[in-house]
Amino acid sequence: MNVRNKSIGWLAAVLAFELLAAGCRPADPTLVKIVSSLPRTGSAKQQSDTLVRGIRMAIEEVGEKVGPFRIEYIDLDDSTAAAGQWTSEAEAANARRALQDPDVCAYIGTFNSGAAKVSMPILNLGDLLMVSPANTAVGLTKPGLGAPGEPGVYRPTGRINYTRVVPADDLQGPLSADWAKKRGVKTVSILDDNEVYGKGLADLFDERCHEIGIEVLGHDSIDSKAQEFKSLMATIKALAPDLVYFGGTTQSKGGQLAKDMASAGITAILMVPDGCREQVFIDSAGAASLEGRCFVTFGGLPPEKLTGKGSEFVERYHKKFGEIPEAYAVYGYEAACVALRAIGDAGTKDRRTITDAALAIRDFDGALGRWSFDQNGDTTMRTLTVSAVKNGHFVFEEVLDANAQSSEGIAE
Amino acid sequence: MSVQFFLQQCLIGLTNGALIALVALGYTMVYGIIGLINFAHGDLIMLGACLALSLVTALGLATAGPTATWLGISLLIVLCGLFCGTLNVAVDRLVYKPLRSAPKLAPLVSAIGVSFIFMNMGLFWIGSADRAFPELLPSTNLLPMEGLQITWKDLLVVIVVVPLMVGLTLLVQMTRLGKAMRAVSQDQTAASLVGVDVDRVIAATFFIGGFLGGAASVIYGLYINTIGFQIGFQNGLYAFTAAVLGGIGSIPGAVLGGLVIGLVRSLSSAYVGERWTGAIVFAILIVILVFRPEGLLGRRTKEKV
Amino acid sequence: MHSSASSTPPASASRRLQLASLLRERWDLVALGLLAIAPLVIPALGGALGGQVTTLFIYCILALGLNVMVGYTGLVHLGIAAFFGIGAYSMAILTVPMYPFQMGFAAAAVISTLLAAGVGLALGAPTLRLRGDYLAIVTLGFGEVVKVTLRNLEQITGGMKGLNPVPPPGAGVTLGGVDLGMAFAIDPRYFYYLSLIVLAGVVVAMRRLENSRLGRAWVAVREDELAASAMGISATRVKLSAFAMSSAVAGLAGCLYAASLSTTADPNAYDFNRSIMMLCAVILGGLGSIPGTLLGVAILVGFDTVLAPWADSWIQQMNINPTGSSLLSFSGWRLALFGLALVLVMRFRPAGLVPSRRLAAELHEGQT
Repeated sequence: MNVRNKSIGWLAAVLAFELLAAGCRPADPTLVKIVSSLPRTGSAKQQSDTLVRGIRMAIEEVGEKVGPFRIEYIDLDDSTAAAGQWTSEAEAANARRALQDPDVCAYIGTFNSGAAKVSMPILNLGDLLMVSPANTAVGLTKPGLGAPGEPGVYRPTGRINYTRVVPADDLQGPLSADWAKKRGVKTVSILDDNEVYGKGLADLFDERCHEIGIEVLGHDSIDSKAQEFKSLMATIKALAPDLVYFGGTTQSKGGQLAKDMASAGITAILMVPDGCREQVFIDSAGAASLEGRCFVTFGGLPPEKLTGKGSEFVERYHKKFGEIPEAYAVYGYEAACVALRAIGDAGTKDRRTITDAALAIRDFDGALGRWSFDQNGDTTMRTLTVSAVKNGHFVFEEVLDANAQSSEGIAE
Repeated sequence: MSVQFFLQQCLIGLTNGALIALVALGYTMVYGIIGLINFAHGDLIMLGACLALSLVTALGLATAGPTATWLGISLLIVLCGLFCGTLNVAVDRLVYKPLRSAPKLAPLVSAIGVSFIFMNMGLFWIGSADRAFPELLPSTNLLPMEGLQITWKDLLVVIVVVPLMVGLTLLVQMTRLGKAMRAVSQDQTAASLVGVDVDRVIAATFFIGGFLGGAASVIYGLYINTIGFQIGFQNGLYAFTAAVLGGIGSIPGAVLGGLVIGLVRSLSSAYVGERWTGAIVFAILIVILVFRPEGLLGRRTKEKV
Repeated sequence: MHSSASSTPPASASRRLQLASLLRERWDLVALGLLAIAPLVIPALGGALGGQVTTLFIYCILALGLNVMVGYTGLVHLGIAAFFGIGAYSMAILTVPMYPFQMGFAAAAVISTLLAAGVGLALGAPTLRLRGDYLAIVTLGFGEVVKVTLRNLEQITGGMKGLNPVPPPGAGVTLGGVDLGMAFAIDPRYFYYLSLIVLAGVVVAMRRLENSRLGRAWVAVREDELAASAMGISATRVKLSAFAMSSAVAGLAGCLYAASLSTTADPNAYDFNRSIMMLCAVILGGLGSIPGTLLGVAILVGFDTVLAPWADSWIQQMNINPTGSSLLSFSGWRLALFGLALVLVMRFRPAGLVPSRRLAAELHEGQT
């Protein structure tokens, strides 16, 4: 019986600790907090590491001060150890935490489009500015392009609070198909990872193929927890397509897919989206499986092609961390710059004013070039580049110009 | 589709199945002897694969000639086998042994705990992203035709798995240790009464299960060519399922279960669609168990009164 | 205090004894009382913490459901998350604007709970004759089948996008000038109280079940199926009822989960990991023990959703880890600490943190 008493004491202690764990401090009028919510544990950690470095650099460069405000940065994790990837609960908890802390004035995130669907409606209630460095799912912002009801369902107040500095997939999916057509591809096999980002992209690619007369031989989804795809590749080999498109990321087994494709003896081109544009993709696939046959699309210019502020950023990053940044690092940096600019322009801690200041950003002269936010909070930047894998590295191939809906090579 | 296509898929399924079976043996042996579902077994294999990767890098096997490569692979199997076997025995000593008389589910939770600890070790060892395992064996087709492909990798799985399984069966059926293992699995108390050192037999079982896991980890690396700190989970899930499907505790059952699961996976991927494979494997498992409640080759145990 | 204690020792001692016995016998009321006033005194509960504690309550309900199967009846269940998911998705289908039903919260919750129970019966009927670990693997397999199906039946379940937005309870109802739906959406305390009330209700129901004819039959089947059937208990029916009850409670938890997140989340939220976590919580706390189950969930879920983020942000604020090395961050060690906690608790308290009274009594009897 004594044992029971002690245990109940434990119960009380555990609960009390959990209640006090997130104690709160009184609001400080000169303090502004910027939070980011990215997957910091599990397989996407490497990408989120570079994003966080970018964010930190942006804040350090302004001396952690904007106008009258001191800036404090909080790096939140939307993944859990048990899941090894982002979870709805962790993302919802981060969003609520940010919403309830009156000092938080900007929310940089999310990495995964699926996670954005969880936090957008929560943050929308408080008009808290959200700047995503990586979400590309179209439904998040563009009326009529996503599922029925999108993006209205993410805006319970009817006002916009979400912006992103990365071009959405309505550019990437169709332009990839156009690029394939131009290369003389007649038949494709489409795969996706059955996630919001990858499947959405693969569907857009699929649609465009039908429009421009590329024959789609098959469209299947993989389980991103599966270990190998040898059977699937034997099936694709029997179909003998000119090109295999994979809508997915390194985390959802892009590397394994490429590897099994090579060892099955498939000679088709492999095309992957920006979710695979990181060195880890090449490392996990093995450079030999990709050599000369794998093409990656990416919204914006790759780090080595950036000019002006962008190339300065790459230089500083290189000096600081001793490596060329991954393609996404600059988006973390840009997102943080947008948040800082909006806070500076607003000159107040009122969230609606800050969000409006961000949405009003036009001709932003940032690391990504000169761009504006449109009426949906999307970037007007419509540059898409294709890189090839050569000698174990991404090598810039060409710029696809979205406005002309045709592509032309750039003389190097 | 063509007969060749069907044969190709069967071949892939059986090769995968053999690998699953090798992992399943580790589950079934430990279960047979102490009735524990050793949830950490898949993660043990993940650690073995980490060691294999480190050794491949240290020995410079990726650039070695063919003879050196085969020697190196044999060395890897022995070293990783010893590593996993020893680690498995150590975990048994530290974690499961004090729980021999505890309620049946307590060691299960401990095993889940150990699996988390292993995962964290793997995370520090190789990092959070998937790592490529060097292609020591070429993917060139050994058959003189287009539609059907067998590579050295597929052969490796067979070359390693078949002797290990035969050896294990002989060990259990013919040796003194094997006899003691069978005795302990039937009745620990009775076995100790006739002079069997139960603790040693259990340790030996953990060692052999771990050794087979270590060998599996090397083959896994060479055959799948990617490792990551989370591979243990999926590995374990299918292997454990194979062990139960075959009749948990039965060695030929684990092998048969592994092959069946491998085949079902590749055929459902080929003829139904990759996206449904997970559901089909487990749906078939449920149906088989409804009609054969003791698994494919399981013993019909009587109700204990 | 001290002086009065020394002047009248007997009275104080008896008072202390009274207090101790009150705590022991009525721990539930004390805990409920504390939790009920907590949001009024702890402002953080109106914030993110409120949402986290709500999630904790919901998992407590889920674990209590699992406890019926694993704790009372002794059947290992590795797929409880599937029933959690069935509850959540059925709740969503009955309420989201995309479907024509658009029911109120209460009606949808009742139907979803019954549906989960029905699915439990349908799975249980053909498989209950399986023994021990074979049944466990069937539940595991069922969990995987449900997850893959939820993911692939995109037209019905929304695939990886999930179904959203699930309207909050009381959407469109105005009570005393307060728009209830809006209040639920903005202030986490509403969901806090709603799930606390449901949790309390489930605890009361479980208590009554424990001592009912059915509850005793569950335990009898767990202890000795043959002896139980010799006493005229139909083991099959008893096990089936446990299966249905377990699934129903898990389904109810799923309803609350979907409503509180306002989405079903993606099917990965209902995977094997969740089932295992709940099983660990029930065993860690003490099989068949209600306070044990609650404590187990508080520790395991609290670790991941409350303690770990808090520790990480503390390390960040203290600037202990300027280089961002994973060896110095809490999240780098999360898995190992979690695993170590499981191993140590089982090592030193193999019957769980709060062994069930009935089990403890039996063990005690065995010793004398």
